[in-house]
Amino acid sequence: MSTLPLQAPEGLLEVDLDDGSVSLQIDATLYPLPAIYAAAYVFIDRAYVLLDRPVDGRVRLTLASKAPAATPEDLRALVGEAANELLSAAFRHQLTQDNRVLVETVTMQAVAGAMGAPSLADLADFDFTDEALDDPLGIAQSWEEKHGRPLPSEASAKASAETSAEGADSEDSR
Amino acid sequence: MTDAGHDPDVPADLAALRPVPLPMAAIRPRAGTQAMFRFRPIRNHVLVTNVDGRWLLLSRDEFTAFARGEVPEGSPLHDRLSSHGFLREGYRVPQAVERLRARRSFLQAGPNLHMLVVTLRCNETCAYCHASRANMDAVHTDMSKETARKAVDLALASTSPFVTLEFQGGEPLVNYEVVQEVVDYATRQNRERGKQLEFTMVSNFSLLDDAKLDWLIEHRVQLCTSVDGPQALHNAQRRLPTGDAHQKTVFWIRRINERYQQLGLDPTLYHVEALLTTTRATLPMWKEVVDTYVELGCRSLFLRPIDPFGFAERTARRLEYPRHEYLEYYRRAVDYMLELNARGVEILERYAAIFLTKILGGHDPNFLDLRSPAGAGIGALAYDYDGSIYTCDEGRMLAAAGDQSFRLGHVDTARYRELVGHPTVRALAIATNLDAQPDCVHCTYQPYCGTNAAYNHKTQGSIFGRMRDNAVCAVHKGIQDYLFEKLDEGDPSVLRTFERWTTIRAREHFVQPLSDASSPSSPAPADPVTPRGGPA
Repeated sequence: MSTLPLQAPEGLLEVDLDDGSVSLQIDATLYPLPAIYAAAYVFIDRAYVLLDRPVDGRVRLTLASKAPAATPEDLRALVGEAANELLSAAFRHQLTQDNRVLVETVTMQAVAGAMGAPSLADLADFDFTDEALDDPLGIAQSWEEKHGRPLPSEASAKASAETSAEGADSEDSR
Repeated sequence: MTDAGHDPDVPADLAALRPVPLPMAAIRPRAGTQAMFRFRPIRNHVLVTNVDGRWLLLSRDEFTAFARGEVPEGSPLHDRLSSHGFLREGYRVPQAVERLRARRSFLQAGPNLHMLVVTLRCNETCAYCHASRANMDAVHTDMSKETARKAVDLALASTSPFVTLEFQGGEPLVNYEVVQEVVDYATRQNRERGKQLEFTMVSNFSLLDDAKLDWLIEHRVQLCTSVDGPQALHNAQRRLPTGDAHQKTVFWIRRINERYQQLGLDPTLYHVEALLTTTRATLPMWKEVVDTYVELGCRSLFLRPIDPFGFAERTARRLEYPRHEYLEYYRRAVDYMLELNARGVEILERYAAIFLTKILGGHDPNFLDLRSPAGAGIGALAYDYDGSIYTCDEGRMLAAAGDQSFRLGHVDTARYRELVGHPTVRALAIATNLDAQPDCVHCTYQPYCGTNAAYNHKTQGSIFGRMRDNAVCAVHKGIQDYLFEKLDEGDPSVLRTFERWTTIRAREHFVQPLSDASSPSSPAPADPVTPRGGPA
């Protein structure tokens, strides 16, 4: 391992020239995880990409160049672009949250304007059966139904009945 | 508010034109009285724009007073700011909504531009061919009549009342029979649909003959071509085996223009338009390029930079150039065009016309890559020779290189609503919405701009891209800087020319009659700046 001549704080950047790879440690409190995924994904055509967590609070992005015999300049460009993409993705993540309603409204208007109302042929193909409501895996069942336990209302009635019975017993025992 | 003043592609030779940075710390902006605004230094002035695209050029002192919230009520500056929607007090939301709606009117309807790649075969070999053309014996790259009819059915299913079918290639005249079939079939089918239907062909004209021309003119097919400038440059970049590509194109441009005049059509409106692809060799020839277009009778010139699709990727080392060099070339060429206009020669630059229509006209001419969201899938569809359907022309170009990211389906199985509601179309609509794009969201030019997802995907690895080191962004910003500098200078002759460049005159003749006897009743929205695909 050696240090790549990039202006990065000490310990955040590692390079393996033999392996043609470079690793960048990312502060997970600065960059949201979806932004890290988005930035890393951009490089999968140019590099083999691995994310791991070497220490708490840090995500490590390792890019192993797919190009044979990557030079230090190649790796510097790769990690430099990754750092820029990371900032872009984090900023976009924030903007998407800030402007979600605006973007969704415009997208809905654009797609609805292009699609138009469904035709009779579209409606004829629409699935009006209630098969979607079938529940072969029992996902819609309550925990009590699935496991044969009494429903809360039944459990409550049973408990009060037992209490009454106990009370009766007590009375009897007096 | 923000200062979007720094561009990624620093214009070396234009450094002197760079505006002096604003000393914001000294200005100490104070929020409170201002409505939402974005700002950018333009030479010694400051451009401010707002959410609905209105703008003002302020002196630095005026801007300082505005940013500090210290504009005296009743002052001329207060009135200017108020009447343009830059002050909270008196800001009229309903009017702003109407302006915004006018700028986004393209959201109301589906694709109006449908590009049919009727063949990949081409008899010309272009150094930058974006379409990955095939040799003339590659007959398997011809679109069949059946595929073409299915593509027409999908195009006419669009919710847009205006449909343009654009023939592309390869060279579309190589598969002329299918062109004829599409025109006949679409015209027949449209009698029930009642759309304002137009046909456009992008051709190098070298395979044209009088019989074909008669038929194309009779059927109102608008003819477009490519001209790369003077003969030597054109023939070096666009090679015919006979070495006379330019001569053939010029011959047919003149012949077609004569035919339009014989039909009694206004030659200022009806003439062959041509597309230019700017390569490195074009840059020093800006004057010769403009002169060539004027001499050919063209009224518009689109100074398009080269794209990285198709063969252009392989020849980039020879053809590409830094975008600051392009911007220098652009400024020189448009300065010269403005001079010509002042002398009575009408020639328009299309990039400028698109932006100025938004800046001065307040509405959107629906150029698909310069709108938010962009038109991929919701404004245009591309049908490849094999029946594959893509969101855009660039999508099929990428597919030719093995990247199917922009493929939506196939004419054999696709249904219209599934195509335009496809998850890829939705993703592109989101990715090209500038309100979710870093940099764009704060950019002064946001109301007038757009981004191209396919270009971003190709050059930066994601459909979002990164605008700060994006060549298309650098070009868009550079051109708008130039236009606002001209507006700031306020030369009456330039302002008159700009006003004329924003005037859209519909070419009604090219709208297909709905019956043999009738003629179109109302003009199509055929803006003179709608994209007509790639070079022929």
